[in-house]
Amino acid sequence: MAEPNPPGDLDSVPDAIVDEKNKGFPVVWLLPLVALLVGGWLFYKTESEKGPEITIRFRTAEGIEQGKTQVKFRDVTVGTVNKVDFTEDLKAVQLTVTMLAGTEGYLTEKSRFWVVKPRIGAGGISGLGTLFSGAYIEFEPSTEGKAAKSYIGLERPPIVTIDKEGTKFRLRADTLGSISIGAPVYFRQFDIGEITDFKLADDYSYVDIGVFVQAPYDKYVHTGTYFWNVGGITMSMGASGAKLEMESLVALLSGGVAFETLPEFLDTPLATENTVFELFDNRAKALERPITEIVTFALKFDGTVRGLNIGAPVEYRGLRIGTVKSIELGADPHNPGIDIPVVLIDIEPQRAQAYRDVDQLEPQEDATGEFEKDPLSRIAVLVKRGLRARLQTGSLITGQLFVEMDYFPDAEPAALVRSGQYPEIPTLPNSLEGIIASVNNILDRVEKADLHGTLENLNALMVSTTRLADTLEKDMPELSAELLVTLKSAHSAMATLEASTSADGEIGSELQSALKEISAAARSLRVMAEYLERHPEALIKGKNTP
Amino acid sequence: MRARDVGLASCHTCGLLLHLPASGHTHCPRCGTPMHMRKPNSLNNTWALLIAAIIAYLPANLYPVMTVISFGKSQSDTIMSGVIYLFAHGDWPLGLIVFIASVLVPLLKMLALLYLLITVQKKSHRRRLQRTRLYRVVELVGRWSMVDIFVVALLAALVNVGAVATIEPGAGAIAFSAVVILTMFAAMNFDPRLIWDYQGEDNG
Repeated sequence: MAEPNPPGDLDSVPDAIVDEKNKGFPVVWLLPLVALLVGGWLFYKTESEKGPEITIRFRTAEGIEQGKTQVKFRDVTVGTVNKVDFTEDLKAVQLTVTMLAGTEGYLTEKSRFWVVKPRIGAGGISGLGTLFSGAYIEFEPSTEGKAAKSYIGLERPPIVTIDKEGTKFRLRADTLGSISIGAPVYFRQFDIGEITDFKLADDYSYVDIGVFVQAPYDKYVHTGTYFWNVGGITMSMGASGAKLEMESLVALLSGGVAFETLPEFLDTPLATENTVFELFDNRAKALERPITEIVTFALKFDGTVRGLNIGAPVEYRGLRIGTVKSIELGADPHNPGIDIPVVLIDIEPQRAQAYRDVDQLEPQEDATGEFEKDPLSRIAVLVKRGLRARLQTGSLITGQLFVEMDYFPDAEPAALVRSGQYPEIPTLPNSLEGIIASVNNILDRVEKADLHGTLENLNALMVSTTRLADTLEKDMPELSAELLVTLKSAHSAMATLEASTSADGEIGSELQSALKEISAAARSLRVMAEYLERHPEALIKGKNTP
Repeated sequence: MRARDVGLASCHTCGLLLHLPASGHTHCPRCGTPMHMRKPNSLNNTWALLIAAIIAYLPANLYPVMTVISFGKSQSDTIMSGVIYLFAHGDWPLGLIVFIASVLVPLLKMLALLYLLITVQKKSHRRRLQRTRLYRVVELVGRWSMVDIFVVALLAALVNVGAVATIEPGAGAIAFSAVVILTMFAAMNFDPRLIWDYQGEDNG
């Protein structure tokens, strides 16, 4: 122990001053208490913010991240995906989502969840914002139904969300056409709704399509409204020629439906939710008057029916009164054992009623006394008056045929054959067949004409012509020799004339000497004139000779 | 022989050597500085602060330290999730640093203080030199644990670009800074001289 000696005495070290003892509460122990309180409060706060825990199933977890993906309602976060898991059968993804406190009341079996991510569809592009922020789960709260804890998420955003007002209707169609979910619904080419879903009927007999019509346009849907398909391009090639129809580009890509209410149906009551409508193939079909009564007739043609299609129109003086139902082979009543084309046509007598008053017909001509009611007997009367069917070319380009009905009072008398399965209306050959017949006629006449005599005459003419040519050929050398001589003499005459008129010629030299004489005389005259000018006296005195 | 054995102590402020009673609050007659043989209530205070630190350590690690909100997508990270993220992305040297500085060091510091407290209370004579060194290390290291908090504070202040990116400090950051501060105070309150008390023979 090496303790250095202090400079002074240790006893002189003063005492420290003793304070009053302050035995209070050790304040420092408040610290762990505060820490505990703060910690506990933090824990309570986070736990109390946690709402119910729910599970949502999706087919895939595309874009969903554990602990990060949020559940939003109107862009407000109401929950977070806690865990991404598989279902036991590995067929789906199960998300465990912790919702915020206060959402309990809105988590019912009617609530819906779907993933919002960028989608490009026929109806446009949606969810672009999620390109940056990542996908999130949209929550559609509902207060209806029982509370639920597990949900099956929608694979695509629903068309009809709670903030869209409108009415849903069901459509029935034979085929889906090109309709897709989200395809537009048009009313006078306004895009006012969407196709919400489609499915086959339980017995596969029709397609059940759901449409949503936004308010306020849903009040234009009456029970008498017609819906028709406007999807894609409708191209029809018929007797009326080729026709190309398209509602809009969107409808071309995604299909769509349109509806219209004819003025006469505006009185029908407004359609209620989930009213079922028939979906027609196109507007023309939709706006046709409803046809309930159909009478089938048979037409037997002697000629070809090439160019006639099933569905081709049956027209009466240009007005459509029916449709070709089928074309098959049947027995020829005139030549037993030979099959000829039999065309079955569906006549819609109600169409005729729409244009013609039944009362104007003459009932007394009716054999059965059921003129107004029975279209068959009516037709029988009309056939008696000359009603015939014949094939006509609707379009020369396409060669499509249609059935024309008209009155031909001059036609051979015939009657409605009522013995077969279908009553048979007598037919006339088609107009083209008529042309062919007359061409044949001409050919026949040509064949019968005196072709031989004509040919003989022609031959005689040829012979005499030949003879004339021969004579000409024989006289030719003689003629040419004479011609040559004449030409020569003409030539010599010309030469003589030329020679005599030249300067060295006979006439020429004489002319020259005469001219010389004349000029000499002129010179003498000039000399004399000059001399007289100078010596005018010479006229009297005469020339002064020196 | 210790100063305490002869009842002497010097004033921290003016250095005046004084006789001190064995117990009770005293002050320097010359400059008025409170005088004591050992830090008063050292064990008591250290215990209290240490327990508070241990309590705060739980939320510090369980709650997110910071929340990065980028393009509307928020991501909260606790200390451990950050470390795991760094490890998972191959930045294991950085991850290791974060792990040591933010998880291991506060934990070891608290364990060390706990060890020192218990041994002092049990009046243990063993490894007094090592324990003294341990205390010095604990006190030295203490202030550096605040680096994490500075980083969060800086980021929160700097990264504030509205919709593009925002960083918000989380509840964990507050708890973590509480841990660091409480352990620093605990270490300050611990009187290492206590390690050397309760010995029959001074053979250190």
